[in-house]
Amino acid sequence: MPVYVDVDRCIGCRSCEVACQRVHGGIGHIHVHFVGDFASVPIFCHHCEEASCTIACFSGALYKDGERTAFDVKKCTGCGLCSLACPYGVVWTDKIAHKCDLCEGRAEPACVATCPANALTTDYELASRRERARAARAAAKGGRR
Amino acid sequence: MIKVDDSLCIGCKSCSNVCPSQNIVRTETEKMRSIHWKRCKEECDLCVEFCPARALTLVPFDETVQEPDLSFDLVACKICGSRYASEPMLRRIEAALAADSERDSEGLEWIRVCPTCRRSREAEMASRETVLERCRRGQ
Amino acid sequence: MTKVLVPTICPYCGAGCGFFIAVEKERAVGIEYMLDHPVSEGALCSKGNAALEIVGHQERLTSPLKRRGDGWAKISWEEAIGLAAKGLGDAKKRRGPASIAFLASSKCTNEENYLIEKLARLLGSPHVDNCARLCHAPSVVGLNRTLGAAGMTNPIPDVASSRCIFIIGSNLAENHPVISRWVHRAKDAGALVIVADPRETHTSWMADIFLQLAPGTDVALLNGMAHVIIREGLLDGEYIARNTKGFEVLAESVRDFTPEKAAEITGVTADEIVRAARAYASSPASSILYSMGITQHTTGTDNVQAVSNLALICGHLGRSGTGVMPLRGQNNVQGACDMGALAEFYPGYRKASDPETIKYFSSAWEADGLPTGPGLTATEMIEAATSGDVGAMYIVGEDPANSDPSSRRVRKALDALDFLVVQDVFMTATAQAADLVLPGAVWAEKEGSFTNTERRVQWSSKALDPPGSALSDREIICRVALSFGLDFDYPDAASVLAEINRTVPQYAGITRDRLETGGLIWPCPSHDHPGTPILHSSGFKLAEGRAAIVPVPYRPAVEVANEDYPFVLTTGRAAVHHNAGSMTRRSPSLVSREPDLYVEINPTDAAKLKVVDGDPVTVTTLRGETEAHARLSVGVKEGVVFMPFHFPGTNVLTQETTDPEARIPEFKVSACRISRRD
Repeated sequence: MPVYVDVDRCIGCRSCEVACQRVHGGIGHIHVHFVGDFASVPIFCHHCEEASCTIACFSGALYKDGERTAFDVKKCTGCGLCSLACPYGVVWTDKIAHKCDLCEGRAEPACVATCPANALTTDYELASRRERARAARAAAKGGRR
Repeated sequence: MIKVDDSLCIGCKSCSNVCPSQNIVRTETEKMRSIHWKRCKEECDLCVEFCPARALTLVPFDETVQEPDLSFDLVACKICGSRYASEPMLRRIEAALAADSERDSEGLEWIRVCPTCRRSREAEMASRETVLERCRRGQ
Repeated sequence: MTKVLVPTICPYCGAGCGFFIAVEKERAVGIEYMLDHPVSEGALCSKGNAALEIVGHQERLTSPLKRRGDGWAKISWEEAIGLAAKGLGDAKKRRGPASIAFLASSKCTNEENYLIEKLARLLGSPHVDNCARLCHAPSVVGLNRTLGAAGMTNPIPDVASSRCIFIIGSNLAENHPVISRWVHRAKDAGALVIVADPRETHTSWMADIFLQLAPGTDVALLNGMAHVIIREGLLDGEYIARNTKGFEVLAESVRDFTPEKAAEITGVTADEIVRAARAYASSPASSILYSMGITQHTTGTDNVQAVSNLALICGHLGRSGTGVMPLRGQNNVQGACDMGALAEFYPGYRKASDPETIKYFSSAWEADGLPTGPGLTATEMIEAATSGDVGAMYIVGEDPANSDPSSRRVRKALDALDFLVVQDVFMTATAQAADLVLPGAVWAEKEGSFTNTERRVQWSSKALDPPGSALSDREIICRVALSFGLDFDYPDAASVLAEINRTVPQYAGITRDRLETGGLIWPCPSHDHPGTPILHSSGFKLAEGRAAIVPVPYRPAVEVANEDYPFVLTTGRAAVHHNAGSMTRRSPSLVSREPDLYVEINPTDAAKLKVVDGDPVTVTTLRGETEAHARLSVGVKEGVVFMPFHFPGTNVLTQETTDPEARIPEFKVSACRISRRD
């Protein structure tokens, strides 16, 4: 159940960043990146199917648990290999690694619940429906997408 | 005390993080990471157990042996030039992910890009269509 | 001890999002989202998520303070109330009650604002106002004249039913982020979005048509659109005939305002103006959302009337998906106005100049000698303090030393007062100038109702006690009033609301026991009335039930770029900050994301100035100069620069010239020059 981003909806308010930081004891796992003056994108863990962070992790702290890329803090030594192995730059290490845990224990990840613009969702169906609708609109306007 | 095989050590942060007695000191500068193993009398072998490179072994205490000290130049990011990792760590990841290297046309080149730039690149890719559309709007 | 979830209303913007404060052992331990809230549906922006950071903040005022030399001495409440009574009392004795002025607070509850304006008027002073003067005074004046009511005509979620959304002079994506969820919902259903703004903003990202007009040329754009709508017959003749008056005069006044003429003034192409006009007029339901980009001008009232004209000639009012929506900045600026904390109105928008009003409140409050208004507005109070006509001020929860234009002049005015008492939660720049500082409570430490930008009255509960000996603002105001022998016997907020139910007709049916999640939208005239989410669905509360179409001539801004000051400076807000910043600049997770004052400059201009991104620069206007970091952005056109006003430096630069009617200062257009600081 990863979180999907609708870039067209993101308004760059950085609410997800602050919410993530708030519910994770001051350490957030989302970075909102601004692309020039024209777009913003929250960047965080995709919970990749074949997650290279889990491949790089020698201690078994990072592992796949169904769709989720899970993290067992007790096994982490903070070596830093996972941070370097993540193609998206969304696993951080200080004393130990930290990354998106999909807000384990909450009904819904905080970023999804708090996003004022509804740009984040865990609903794959919704994400793909929006993508199809957008493609249809673009086609109607004669653009391509 | 600890013996280090400097041909195996990858310059990661594991041993210095797990040592309960602060006997392994890691110093980071902008360009370099140095690790210094103090001569220790502990029977503990946490660092040995948690060394991803199996570079450490527990040996009897010996005052005459010099304290091991290793330094690693940090590699500069291909995009922004900031130094972010030791060469052996990057090599290790390249080796581990080799099977996966047909991920895209660039292969594993992304490993030579720092995490911050990886995020920026991801943001640019994810927003390409959106940005194009917004720039075209009104023209 | 178990965790308790206390429902509260966010203390930042006017969207009025709800959230729960989780309280454990009398400490706030977290925020929980309120998923069934009608406006936010559980969402919160970055400021809302960080709201608890200011509650237990180490810089909170915890004790009354009196000035001692250059510093402060902690004093007891008894001494503090005595000093307040003496300071205000002396001014009254020496020069009459009209020498005292009050600033109420758009951050305080309805009940507190009601008590502040009641205290002012019972003491005999007509001078009470609030910072609505600096944001939506033109909406109050303009919309009362044209539509007979000044609030948003439709609720926020109703925006989702619009087929065309015209956003002008509002960066709602950053300033009211949660509203963008409803804009997007409308877009999902195929709505077209038009954004008019001098800057490419996060809001303009949502636009299908983006009109990047020159600062201060809104009337020209709106008149040009009206011209197109009339010329092409896109108007709603039946609606105009049935519901309005004054159309012919408007038609005549915009006859020459061709899109080409509008294009010349605004810098937007004639084609775009035509496209926007057609889209707005021909959609089955169009709404206009506007904000400070419309109001904070010397032509603020004109702008508002031009907006209202557009809606009236197209008949886009009184139905779902239509409307004129002034988005209000503070969490209770709507309520502070409703409660009569305004120079020209007693509670419930009863005109302060009308003898009937005085008669009504003399009886309701059992008081003699109530002052006839209009009193001095917030901006006029500052002038009167300088001239000596006002000798004492009681300022609650506002920071004119940062938020008013030309802030150096404001500081001088505050220093000139014989007595200044400031009631706030932090030592603001204004409090620094005070003789006496009274520590108030933040939203989480008191209860009461707040009215959001949609006229939605919501109850916010108390989660915590105020720190140290700080008190709720209601308690402080009551203590001050009691020291004057006034009968302010209000043991809780509900007892004040009960009086409001009797004296403010719009709130008659909004009783404490009816305020559940989502609240009630005024007017709500009786106990069984469901509230009125959509205004003007059956005529207007004006003569003959007709709205007024008021033609507005285009007047250029007072200052224009010139040889010495070649750039036009416009101001606004950034997503992670709020207004004068006394809260957000103290909130670690917000200020860390936007720590310094910056000025956005177009890269072409920057190259000419030999400035690169991040360079320290000095920005100078006729009023003064400020240091800031350059931020290069193609979002501003060449010749235009932008600064957020959350930092003390910005309003050093802005001008005190005001709109002739609404008395709002010109925050959005100042001529400036920029130089690199080496």
